[in-house]
Amino acid sequence: MPPVLEVKDLTVRFAGCTALEGVSFTIEKNAIIAVIGPNGSGKTTLLKAILGLVPFQGEIRLFSKPLRQVLPQVGYVPQRFAFDSTFPLTVEEFINLTCRTPEKLPLGGVLDEVGMKGFKGKLIGELSGGQLQRVLLAHALVHRPRILFLDEATSGIDIEGLSDFYSTIQRLNREHGVTVMMVSHEISMVYKFTDRIICLNRDLISHGETRTALTREVLKKLYGDSADLRNHSHD
Amino acid sequence: MIELLQLPFMQRALIACLVLGVLLAYLGIFVTLRKMAFFSDGVAHAALAGAAIGLLTRFSPLISALIFSMLLACLIYWLEKKSSLSSDAIIGILFTSGMALGIVLISLRKGYQPELLGYLFGNILAIRRQDLALIVILAILIMAFIIRHKRKLTLLALDREMAYMAGVNPDFYQLLIYVMLACALVLGIRVMGVILVSAILIVPVSTARLFSRSFKTLTIWTAVIAESVMIGGLLLSYYLNLPSGAVIVLVGSTVFSLTFIAHSLRRQRRQKRQSPTN
Repeated sequence: MPPVLEVKDLTVRFAGCTALEGVSFTIEKNAIIAVIGPNGSGKTTLLKAILGLVPFQGEIRLFSKPLRQVLPQVGYVPQRFAFDSTFPLTVEEFINLTCRTPEKLPLGGVLDEVGMKGFKGKLIGELSGGQLQRVLLAHALVHRPRILFLDEATSGIDIEGLSDFYSTIQRLNREHGVTVMMVSHEISMVYKFTDRIICLNRDLISHGETRTALTREVLKKLYGDSADLRNHSHD
Repeated sequence: MIELLQLPFMQRALIACLVLGVLLAYLGIFVTLRKMAFFSDGVAHAALAGAAIGLLTRFSPLISALIFSMLLACLIYWLEKKSSLSSDAIIGILFTSGMALGIVLISLRKGYQPELLGYLFGNILAIRRQDLALIVILAILIMAFIIRHKRKLTLLALDREMAYMAGVNPDFYQLLIYVMLACALVLGIRVMGVILVSAILIVPVSTARLFSRSFKTLTIWTAVIAESVMIGGLLLSYYLNLPSGAVIVLVGSTVFSLTFIAHSLRRQRRQKRQSPTN
């Protein structure tokens, strides 16, 4: 079976500064992949390059095609959604904005899936950080994408909500076969919920199955001597 | 009142106000959401140069202002993409230069220049039949386009990346918004003047935002407020014998202030009811 995502020799430069250098990897269908690395390591840049949001050198193919051809099969939850929170836009109106046809989408199911049933008429600006992230997730899922990209999607969620959010992602992956690629800082959650990891620090430090690739040595390489695996073994 | 409606210039001004009210107010929703108020103000001010070129060359000032403003909108878009200057700096330089060029060009004509005041603050007597035809045709075309592409334009105004992911070409639609906005602002200059026309972009939507509980109600209320303010202001300016643009803006800001006070009082009462009693 061909890989879902193929990245070959990816390099991204901004104004003479190298954000990513010679990164290559493949992703198989139905996996949950975490991209980890310290701040400024190029995690978000990697996601943006895959999605065609920043210019890059190298080759990226999604479902064996260039991204533009498969965009409707891709879902994306950004790191932050900086919009004017006083703007009156309901959850239903927000999600329907992505609708490519004039018909309204059946929202009940997708809101239920992300634990936001009953929030259809609520204003986006009145949601808490965690609720907004769930609505952004619903927004990304409404077209039933085959692959979902999450860029630190849990940044506005409190500790109690974190596990819930990751469980939702895991359920979507297991029940609907959605391949998930997420940028994350929560190493313990990555260890518990993901199948594979990509460890970045401008270039590829390591990648492979989470439990084998996420070693003390790799974490030290990424985060320095203070990092270890103590927090990761509580599953 | 019936006598007033029989005056041809008043009929033309009323039709222009009805058409422009809904067009400018609707565009205002995207302008406030995308924080483009300075762009709107800048393009409107710079349009004076376009109108002045029309006056000097004895070509239609409205058409020359339209062409000038649309080219200026394209230039702003291009400079924002290609230069390292901030959008505010680009607009600030072009808008003041355009306005200065307009004043210099109008001053080149000999004698008293009543047109200058008309372009600065609006003059309903100056709306000719052919101007009205152009206003109505272009306004209908722009409105039809906005309604057809409402989803894409709203998404782009909310978040560029999200729009791209939903299959919208952000660069193309951004340029279109700039050009449509420039065009709509110039159409409003005859009634409102270059200095005041952008008020109709901002005031109705800002008023409606105070109490709207969805995008749909915001759209409806913005249009209703804009039409009421435009027509009310126009009639009042006629009876008070004052410049139409200035009176329309003052009516708009009064409506906004009253709504703001009512909204604040209601919110205070609600907070009082919700707070626990001691």
